[in-house]
Order: sequence, then structure tokens, then C-alpha cells
Amino acid sequence: MVYKILYITTLLGLLTATSLIAQEDIPKNWNTEKIKGTRLIPYATYSGSAYLNEKFATGEIEFLDGTKIEDLKLRYSIYRDEIIYYNEAISSQIIIDKISLKGFAFIDGNGVKRIFRQQYFNGFMPGNRYFEVLSDGDISLLVYRKVILQICPVYTNNAGKLLNMSYQEAFSYYFYSGEKGYELTRLNRNSFLSKFDKPIQKSVKKILRKNNVSITNEASFVQAWNLIKENGIKINFSK
Amino acid sequence: MERKIIILLLLFLAFSAKAQEKEGSSLFTDRDLYISGETLLLKVFAPIAEQSGIVNIDLINREGKKISGIILEIIDHQADGFIYLPDSLSSGCYLLRTSTKTDKTSTIKVVYVTNRFRGLPESNADWQPSGIPSLKETPIPNLQVEGVEMRYKPRDKGHASIHIPAEILTQTDGNLSVSVAGITPEFTSATYLQQSAAKTSQIIEKEGIILEGIVTDLKTAQPFKDAVVYLTIPDSIPGFKYYITGEDGRFFFQLKNYYGKIPVVIQCFDMKKTHLLKIALSDTDSLRRGLPAFETRTFQPELRKRVEKNIDAVTFRKIFNQQEITIQPLPVIKRDTYPYYGVPTKIIDPQLFIDLPNFNEISKELLPGVKFRTYNRIPTLQVFNAAQFYYFNDQPLLLLDGIPIRDLNVIKDMGTKDIDKVEICQSERFYGNLIFPGVVAIYTSKADYTRVPESDDLIKLNLDVIQPRATLNNSTAEQLSDPDLRQVLLWQPSLKPEPTITLDFQTSDIRGSFKLIIHGKTKDGSIFYKEQIFEVN
Repeated sequence: MVYKILYITTLLGLLTATSLIAQEDIPKNWNTEKIKGTRLIPYATYSGSAYLNEKFATGEIEFLDGTKIEDLKLRYSIYRDEIIYYNEAISSQIIIDKISLKGFAFIDGNGVKRIFRQQYFNGFMPGNRYFEVLSDGDISLLVYRKVILQICPVYTNNAGKLLNMSYQEAFSYYFYSGEKGYELTRLNRNSFLSKFDKPIQKSVKKILRKNNVSITNEASFVQAWNLIKENGIKINFSK
Repeated sequence: MERKIIILLLLFLAFSAKAQEKEGSSLFTDRDLYISGETLLLKVFAPIAEQSGIVNIDLINREGKKISGIILEIIDHQADGFIYLPDSLSSGCYLLRTSTKTDKTSTIKVVYVTNRFRGLPESNADWQPSGIPSLKETPIPNLQVEGVEMRYKPRDKGHASIHIPAEILTQTDGNLSVSVAGITPEFTSATYLQQSAAKTSQIIEKEGIILEGIVTDLKTAQPFKDAVVYLTIPDSIPGFKYYITGEDGRFFFQLKNYYGKIPVVIQCFDMKKTHLLKIALSDTDSLRRGLPAFETRTFQPELRKRVEKNIDAVTFRKIFNQQEITIQPLPVIKRDTYPYYGVPTKIIDPQLFIDLPNFNEISKELLPGVKFRTYNRIPTLQVFNAAQFYYFNDQPLLLLDGIPIRDLNVIKDMGTKDIDKVEICQSERFYGNLIFPGVVAIYTSKADYTRVPESDDLIKLNLDVIQPRATLNNSTAEQLSDPDLRQVLLWQPSLKPEPTITLDFQTSDIRGSFKLIIHGKTKDGSIFYKEQIFEVN
């Protein structure tokens, strides 16, 4: 009998202690910042791809005030320079307002985290653009990934239709400093070396030679820049 | 044996859950006795375990009705603020109550307010609380206050040096509160703790206040699921939030980084448009429990004389327009750079064109891609989808001064003179999970959103949010011709603890007993104080 009373009293105590906690079922993201955007109107289908990642990849976005939303399905349109997310609740592909974002990141098909930053570009065709950050620091190495729709030799698509347009890559690489702006570069040794003053070029060459780096593609260019950056050598902005 | 283990386990769980309950806040005011029209200054030390970033202080009358209230931000377990005591308050005891959204214990302090025009009751007696187990504070002996004279002349310069021993300094949590104010030995107020009523919410107000309420079916009065609740803060760039209710019909909005008083419009509607709904905010206006017993007590003759002098002092201060406090400028908060409905495709200012009598004419003549028509006396509104070259079938998001409205009759009579500008978004806009088939945002010339009608499903209110900080106005020594009738000579509610703190104050023209009092809190949550009384005559 005593045991029964003890059981009942302790259970009642537990119930009163936990009843408040179980009162509500508030949605997990009830107070998170809401994503603003417009509906994606599908692009015309041509040879090549309008997207950096054809399939939606898991990623996160960061708003201008620093708040982040994670676990979003993202796809980056390099044709229109737009980040698109898939809203499962309303089954819609939504272009997120560029001016609301500081940047975004996603894990690509190879498991690599791709980080993009929204910033103003004051060169040819000025405006806010997403730049992929290849190397960050006082001087960042950025790439503006872009495909353009261009006339090409006539080909037949899967539907048997004759077409003469295709999406073609036109990536632009920049060194960027908050103070000095953008410095266009190309993915070759000569362009890389030209960004340094003549007396420094020798030591740059030496570092590259020592580390057995030859600049032939994007990966080797980033590797070369990271090596030079580690050695405290700065590039010479032309402006 | 097994039974014993189970019982022990259950007991442990029950006690550990209960152990999370925390003690109440500590509440201090500059004085205990006030005259209506004065400002009550207060300081709150929150318990260490307090998770809330917001504390509510309510002024409640003897019947438990809320007279006014303030919302303070808790920073380093402390908060300070002020309450204007309206001139309309009748003479009597009032209760100051601290509460947070989740606390289980409220701290209640009793103060007496005398109406400036009527004075103390003719009967020389009034209801006063009785049988309150008042909280006792213990003075700290080794906190030294030096330099305070026993006697000062009016308009004399006072000085105090507070020496805080190292062992207290290391144990002090946050800032100290120091005040020098007139005292009335004939009236002593009480402070007590009271178990709060069961809370309907378990959301902790960590950043900004949380506005909550319930949506019910207008016919059945039952909580309504899947109602969309909009909260709008009308402004040049309106603030907007939405909530979709669950089974319990409840909704919650957090208002972060808003200070002072803001206009808020809350409305709800059924997504399927089949039910009429009613919206109500949670009631926090009264003290249902915790009212102490009151008994009639006679005032001492000295108190009546003192109150009469205080009334004169307050009246003179009003005549000379001497403000007790200065509100600090509101912090600059970076808000959205563009409206929640997107960057408009077109912005039209109808006042730049010929006067048009109604919105039908304005849409026809001035608004590209906006079709406002009336068929069989029923107005319709459509927006052109510029991306796909067709008119949306559904009604766009229509805003009046940033407030969404669904009844088109509200705008049909609006002519050129009523409209400041119209913003149009000719695309399908998304905000979270909401879809807007185009947007027409009308900003009125008056910008007072009076055209938005209040109804069962729409509430307009001027909401008190976090109180801005204020500082006590010090003596205006340069204006020697003006009377200096300050009751509070010094009020520094957030003083950084240092080994030696020096304070300067100037006595006013008020004669009588004054008290310098220092309050602080140790890291284990206990309150310490030190006081020194002096006379001005």
C-alpha cells in the first residue's frame, strides 16, 4: 500500500513538472528569417548547362544581417547568376532575392563545399554578383562563374530538334581586396606572375618551382596562390 | 529492491525537474511613497537562472487591475527603467509586479501613490496590505561609505566614497545600483514573492518580446488550425511576420530590436476561405492571484504633512516644466533594406498626374499591369505577370500602408489626393511559404492606416515594446531662480563595481530625511545592500 502511494505521488509530481513542457507543439522554424524571392521560370534547353550544379545540393544561405538558414536544397544558375532553392512545403523552385543575401554555400556532387559571396562588382557590367571564393583572406581569389548563350554549330537535341545555341562557360577570375577592388587574372603562369612586381617575380617562381606547382588549371592556380599567400607576398593591383 | 530503485529514480526525476524552478527577481524603487504625475524609478536584479532576456513590470491596483506596464531588457541579469504614474491615479496602495514569460515566481512590491489633486483620503486612513511575509534584506557591514555628512543645507554639495572590499568585488555579479532619495519613515513598503499563475507559454523571450494569442472559429469558438496570422508593423519599409496555427490555434511572434511604442496590426484568415475567424491576444493585464489582504490603517499626522509638501513640490515642478528623467536616444537598428514583398517593379506617384476620383480610374490611367474592375458591384484586382505575360488569376497581395487587406472595398474610393504612391510587383513573390500573385502596395497621404477597419479577425494596437533607457535629470544649479524640488538626488542603476566609487550629488530645496542606498548582487544570487541616512534642513 505504501509503495502504491509513493508510486502515485511521484508520478503526479513528475506529471506536474513536465506537463508545461508538453503543452505546445511550436513549429521548429517559427521565428527564423523568411526567404524572399520569385518563382523560377525554366530556361530554354540547349546544349550545355545553365546551372553549376544540375541537381539540387544541400547547402545554407546567409542573410545580410548574418542569420543563416541551413539544410536548404540549392541550385546555382550560372546563366542568370541566381541562387535557387526548392521549397518542399509549397513544391516550388524559388529564386532568392540577391539583395537579401550575404552569400551561400553548398556541397557539390564531389563532396566539396563551394562558398559563394554576394558583392558589388564595379567593372564592366557593374552590379551585385555572386562570386565563388576560391581562397579567402585580405586578398581573395574569386571566380565569377558565368555561362552565356551563344551561337554554335548546328546540332540536333534529344527531341530531334535542330538548334544553333548552347550554354558556354565564360568564367572570370579576380584577385579582390576590399580596399583596392578587383584585379582580373587568367589561369596561366604568365598572367599569375604579371600580378607581382618584377623583383618579386623571381621569388614567386622559386616558390612555385620548389613546390613543384605548374599552373595549368583552376586547382593548380589556387594552389599556387595559397603558397604565395603563405609566404606573405602580395599582388600588385593595377588600379 | 526493483521497486525501491524505480521509486528512487522517479523521485530523482521529479526533484530534478522541480529544481529548475528559480527564485524570484529582486525589485527596488527609488522611493516608497509617490505623488501622481511623478516618475517611479526602478531596478530589477533577475535570478541567475533566469533565461529570459525580458522582464515585465506592471503597476497593479488594489483590485488586481493593471494600470500600466513596462518591458525591460535584462542585461547581465539586471534591468532598470521607469514608470510614469498618471495624474489620474486615485490615492492608494499599488503593487509593482515583475514577471517573465516563464517564471514561476513574481516579485511584488507595494508602493503608495497620492493623487496630486485630492491628496490623502479625508478619513486619514486607507487600505494597506496586511500579513505579507515581506522579504528581508541583510545589510553588508564591510562595504564602507565615506564622506556623507549627517546634515546638509538645501542646495548643498554632497559627496560619497564607496569602498568595496576585494572579497565583495570578486563576488559581485554585474553592476551596482546607487540612489539618493527622500524617505518617509512614516510609511514602509513591503516586497514579497508570489507564485505565478500557470503559464500558457513556454517560449523564452531571449531576444525581444513575444506576442502571442489564439485564433478561434467565430461560430464555434474552438481553436482554429491552419489559420494564417499576419503581423505588420506599418512603416516606410513595413515590418512583416506570419504564423500558421496548429491544433491549439495559438500563434507567436517575436519582436526583436523594437523600442518604445510601435503600431502593430495583427490579422488572421482561413487559408481555405471557408471559415470566419476571431483573433485574440493573450491577456496579461491583471493579477488574478497574489493579491495580498488589505486592511484599513490610519496615517500618522506627520505623513499627511509630508505628503502635502510633496504634492506642492510636484506641482511646482510641473509648473516649471522640470522633467525628472531624460530618455536616451533609441539604438539605431539596421532593418530590411527593401520591403518584404520585394523590390517594386514600378512605383507610381498619382499626385504627379491629373486628379482622379477613385482607384478604378487610377488603375486604368496610371498603374501599368494592374486591373481593378467592378463587376456586379464586386471589385476585383489582378496584376500582370511580367515574366510569363499573363494576368494572375488570383487577387494579388494588396497592402495599405504596408498592412495586407483583402477587402477591395477599402480602396475603391481612394482618389489621387488620398494616395502618396503605389508600388507594384509584377511577378509571383514568395515570402517563406507564402505565395503572392503580384503585389500592389498603396501608401496613403496620411500614412495613418485609419482606412484599415478593425474587425474580429484584425487587431490594431499601439504596442509597448522594450522601454528605452533613461537617465535622471540632475540639478539645474545654473537656474538659481527656479525652485529645485527634486526628491531623487542621485539615481545610478548600473554602476560598474570598482574598489572605490566616488559619487557627487547636490541637495535640493526639499528638506527632510534622505537615504543613500547601494544595492548589489553576488554571484550566488543573494542581494546585498548598504545605506546611510542624512538630513537636509
